Amino acid sequence: MVKRPDRRTENTQLRAFSASQNLLNQADGSAKFDLGETSVMVSVVGPAEVQLRDEKMDEATVEVVVRSAVGVSTTTEKLQEQLLRTAVEPVILGGMMPRTLVQIVVQIIKDDGSVLAAAVNGITLALLDAGIPMKFMTAAMTCMIDRVSKDIVMDPTSEELENASSVHMFAFDNLNKTPHVLLSDSSGQFSQEQYFECHDRCYEAADKVQGFLRVAVESKKQKEYQQTVNE
Amino acid sequence: MVNKELKPSINEGDFVLAALNEKRRVDGRGIYDVRSLQISFGADYGQVEIQLGRTRVAAKVSAKVERPRNDKPTEGILLFNTEISPMACPTFEAGSRSEEEVLISRIIEKSLRRSRAIDTEGLCIVAGEKVWEIRVDLHFLDHDGNLVDCAGIAAITALSHFRRPDVTVVGEEVTIHPIDQRNPVPLSIHHLPICVSFAFFDQGQLLVVDPNYLEEKLKQGSMVITMNIHKEICALSKAGGIPLEMDQVLRCSQIALVKVTETTEQIQKALETDKASRKKAASSGAK
Repeated sequence: MVKRPDRRTENTQLRAFSASQNLLNQADGSAKFDLGETSVMVSVVGPAEVQLRDEKMDEATVEVVVRSAVGVSTTTEKLQEQLLRTAVEPVILGGMMPRTLVQIVVQIIKDDGSVLAAAVNGITLALLDAGIPMKFMTAAMTCMIDRVSKDIVMDPTSEELENASSVHMFAFDNLNKTPHVLLSDSSGQFSQEQYFECHDRCYEAADKVQGFLRVAVESKKQKEYQQTVNE
Repeated sequence: MVNKELKPSINEGDFVLAALNEKRRVDGRGIYDVRSLQISFGADYGQVEIQLGRTRVAAKVSAKVERPRNDKPTEGILLFNTEISPMACPTFEAGSRSEEEVLISRIIEKSLRRSRAIDTEGLCIVAGEKVWEIRVDLHFLDHDGNLVDCAGIAAITALSHFRRPDVTVVGEEVTIHPIDQRNPVPLSIHHLPICVSFAFFDQGQLLVVDPNYLEEKLKQGSMVITMNIHKEICALSKAGGIPLEMDQVLRCSQIALVKVTETTEQIQKALETDKASRKKAASSGAK
């Protein structure tokens, strides 16, 4: 039993997930993903016309734009854009849509820790909503190692992150029975054992996220089916 | 960087005009009808999402202590960020600012900063050294026409909702109390400026209030009047387009007053409801 600032009782306890899809009209696909108070809105447009200089002859160009909740875009956002793009590009079946653009815009509504993981989960849902062909679904989770207790704390809030000696974010696929890492982003000082331990914990947590994503999409499809049946 | 803007087809244009000539709009509204307004508040103070029909704008207000400007040592700083991301509409590019964006930015600045809606003198902590810098970040989520009005409502609602940390100054010593130690303090807001947009068609003969995306693309002229419920015009923007006669402008200002009164009532009701629910949550949480 641990006392965490947002009333969670275990280090392994994750915050409440919440997701909604198809919120925006201008975008081809959109999704909102919440991890507790962290909230991220993602929009996807594609396949769309691409600028000649970005055109790829044999596959789609993937562009990610990240906008933070407060302030203008800085190098932090540029780094997040690059991380997300390199993670998501291999997931999208770009070869089916050569010389086109898939533009993903991530708007951070509130950052209370684990914002990059929320973005990855939101992107998965938004790509599904847009009907962009993908190889698999990705789910991500963050954990940190506490500076004092050396415990692994899952899904930390920004208040908890202030006491971290290292922070780790992992994104996994849902294709294999064993963990296959799609994206790993770690910062701070940590040992090999700590890193692998975090990897295993995040895999368990990401599994739960996968389950949640599945439920979210299934219920959305149910609703859509009801609407077409009722017409 | 996605497609260049596709103009609406001639058919669509003719249809919209024919409907307007019969005093009807394609989405079923009357020509003076504003779309339904939905206001939702986030967990933090100063976090608001406004929906005007299908147009969505989110606003987030934050405060920081900064040095004041050299020419205004006793005034706080008010900043607006109105960068439009491609989320609102793929035709907005991530890097460059289009003419539309610049116009929206200028109208928001004129309506909220120049009209002195927020008391900047009250944001001073130590003259010449420390003042509050209030930052309003506007996120344009969905563009279905009339981003200006939606953004204006989002900004002023968020500013009215926001609470900044309490400060005590003893001589040269400044203590900024964290939000969990002392209740945060609202900003001093003199009045609520609300923008009302008009679009004109057919050489200025036909007008609509609160144009949607299609009407905006087909309009020949436009005007934005920013007013408050005290019948004061805070800003008037008529940037090009079909020239209007003076009595048309006056008539628009009368229409704007009605809309501003309705909108102000809705905003104040939403703020009251949110205040009550926060109070209830705090008292039940304290038990």
